[in-house]
Amino acid sequence: MTQHRTIALRRGAMIAIPVVGALVLAGCSGSGDASSTSGGESTEFSFTFATSNNLESPYETLANDYMEANPGVKITTNPTPNDKYGETIRTQLQAGNASDVIQTTPGSGDARGIIPLAEAGFLEPLGDTAKDLIPAGSESIFEIDDKVYGQPLDFTIGSVVASLGTAEMNGIDGWPTTMDELNDACSALAGDGKSLLALAGAAGPNAGLTAQAISATRVYAEDPDWNQKRADGDVTFADSDGWKATLQTIIDLKDQGCFQQGSEGAGFDAITNGLAQGTSVGSFIPSGAAIEISKAAPPEAKFAVEPFPADDDGKAFILASSNYTLSINAASKAKDAASDFLEWMASSDAQQRYYELSGELPVSAYQDMDLTGTIYEPIVDLLASESYTPLPNNIWPNPSVYDALQVGVQGLLTGQKTVDQVLQDMDAAWGE
Amino acid sequence: MSRTLETKTEAVLARELGADRGRRPIGGRPRRAGLLKFGYWWWALPGILFVIAIHYVSTGVGGFFAFTDWTGIGAFEWIGFDNFVAIFQDPSKVGALVNTLFLAFASVILSTVVGMGLALGLNRGLKSRYVLRVLFFMPVVLSPLAVSYIWKFIFDFNGPINVVLRALGLGEFAKAWVADPVWAIWTILIVIVWQNTGFAMVIYLAGLAAVPVEMEEAAAIDGAGVWQRFWHIVLPSIRPAVAIATTLGLVNGLRVFDQIMALTGGGPASATETLATQVYKESFALGNFGYGAALALLLTVIILVFAVVQQRVTQGRPEEN
Repeated sequence: MTQHRTIALRRGAMIAIPVVGALVLAGCSGSGDASSTSGGESTEFSFTFATSNNLESPYETLANDYMEANPGVKITTNPTPNDKYGETIRTQLQAGNASDVIQTTPGSGDARGIIPLAEAGFLEPLGDTAKDLIPAGSESIFEIDDKVYGQPLDFTIGSVVASLGTAEMNGIDGWPTTMDELNDACSALAGDGKSLLALAGAAGPNAGLTAQAISATRVYAEDPDWNQKRADGDVTFADSDGWKATLQTIIDLKDQGCFQQGSEGAGFDAITNGLAQGTSVGSFIPSGAAIEISKAAPPEAKFAVEPFPADDDGKAFILASSNYTLSINAASKAKDAASDFLEWMASSDAQQRYYELSGELPVSAYQDMDLTGTIYEPIVDLLASESYTPLPNNIWPNPSVYDALQVGVQGLLTGQKTVDQVLQDMDAAWGE
Repeated sequence: MSRTLETKTEAVLARELGADRGRRPIGGRPRRAGLLKFGYWWWALPGILFVIAIHYVSTGVGGFFAFTDWTGIGAFEWIGFDNFVAIFQDPSKVGALVNTLFLAFASVILSTVVGMGLALGLNRGLKSRYVLRVLFFMPVVLSPLAVSYIWKFIFDFNGPINVVLRALGLGEFAKAWVADPVWAIWTILIVIVWQNTGFAMVIYLAGLAAVPVEMEEAAAIDGAGVWQRFWHIVLPSIRPAVAIATTLGLVNGLRVFDQIMALTGGGPASATETLATQVYKESFALGNFGYGAALALLLTVIILVFAVVQQRVTQGRPEEN
């Protein structure tokens, strides 16, 4: 081998290595664009959704059902861990390699909220089918300038999911309907080393949902437009008697022994174990979670969605709204195929299937469904009388407000914060 | 060297230093010229370019966003030092800074003291020292996240610590350790020290291997006690090892993340937040990317400053003193 040849080889290697490296990287970054076109528009598209476990997601099953019903269509599903979901889809949308169909949430209180994503131009406006599904009065968290960017899917109840079987076994006759009854039940159960409510105080979403579900009776029952007034600057959290009562109720529940011991440091496993093993009667969790927990609990557990008791002069009120939406990526090359899929997801068959799979009420049909004998039976009257409000944090202007509430509730449980401090933190997070 | 050698220790020291001098290459000439000629500096160019592009350019771009109000998506505006002003006006961020410094310095001090003690104990003599070295080093190779979840179970309200306390009739001391405003940060410190001590021990063992037995023996014959031998012979000899172990420990302590996220998630009520956890939370959970980048830049500057100061303080070699 001559000296010239050796030098030429070295130079060739110097050029080849970076080029191959660049091609490999380009190949990786291009892998998100899975759609192929035939005749101009693709019948192949990708679908990203959040998942919390390794069981088959209802979305996965529905995508498979759709492919079975439409043999020419191929859906590439991308289940993404729930705790990293918001940042993942934001990064993918920014990088231009997001899926064609994306699971989102209404409003702007979450990293996956459709309003900031639509304002940044990442989401495609949807058609009349999506518009018709939006619950009355909730347009502001689905629309910008009369254009809809997320198709609602579920109608989730945010209240107490309780095991009536566990209550009966501990001598409690039915779910308490007044605060006095509730306090009595708490004392009775605490005496036996059990608790009426399981709380995951160290898990922000559960601490936050607990406060919000209680606020339905203390704030929104009396003033359903409270969030709009806060946005207009007419009211503040710190001056709100309803919000003060809400947070004071959490402190009272702790002092009465309504939560399990060590609740301030507990995670979601405390709820699952407590309800499944019968050491706790109920917990503030999304209604669909009852289906998951009931699989681990004995048959006699008899789970039901129950309203949290109102104050002495208050009225029963619950959280109920669509918390999950489907959106189409504005940069998608398969928008028609994606739109057809969303159209099918709104059909009564797909909605019924979603209910069977997830346990969540379908947004298009819950008003016409006969809920007798289901876990939703105790709240049928509240749904009929529209005694419910959307999840407040979906309406709040940024995720920091809800974060301040989550952190604050744990601070109340540990004694690190006062009610006034938490409410002031929420006002500060709201901004101008 | 005009004065006579008064003790055997000095005689051994002089012999060692003389031997060192004798081994030094003369005139800085490469000893293995044939091998060195084989390579050229530009052979590393592709690697250097990749490192610059992937590491330093991306870090620089991240630093740029510290001066913007970018939310992670869409457009952004240049806002100068507003993010930094906001950081120092927010008590929770100042608290995170204090926690960061506390965990870094406390973990370095404890890891150094315990690691040094283990290294001295397992340096020579003990028959089971090889097995014990493996046992003490094992936590280092385990995933910090996995280990932290096990510790979380140990510290849980229904975990082994509280079970033992209740069994001993000390039930009133049982608590949710990771959710206690006072104890939460100490639980994190325990886990960090438990996992880092093995690493410090190995570095000190390497340093101790280079300390001549004769020198210690000579000092002992001269009547030096255990403490005097450690302070005047061993510690100066392993000063480079101390510099490496404390610098690496400090940098790791300043950027600790996994253990906090697994044990407390920054709680209770932000009591264990550090700059690293706040960077993650602000950038990715709350969508304040510009603000998070400012926190990250601040953390980088702090790490740089402490690493340089640390090196300056500990860089002197024994023969230079």
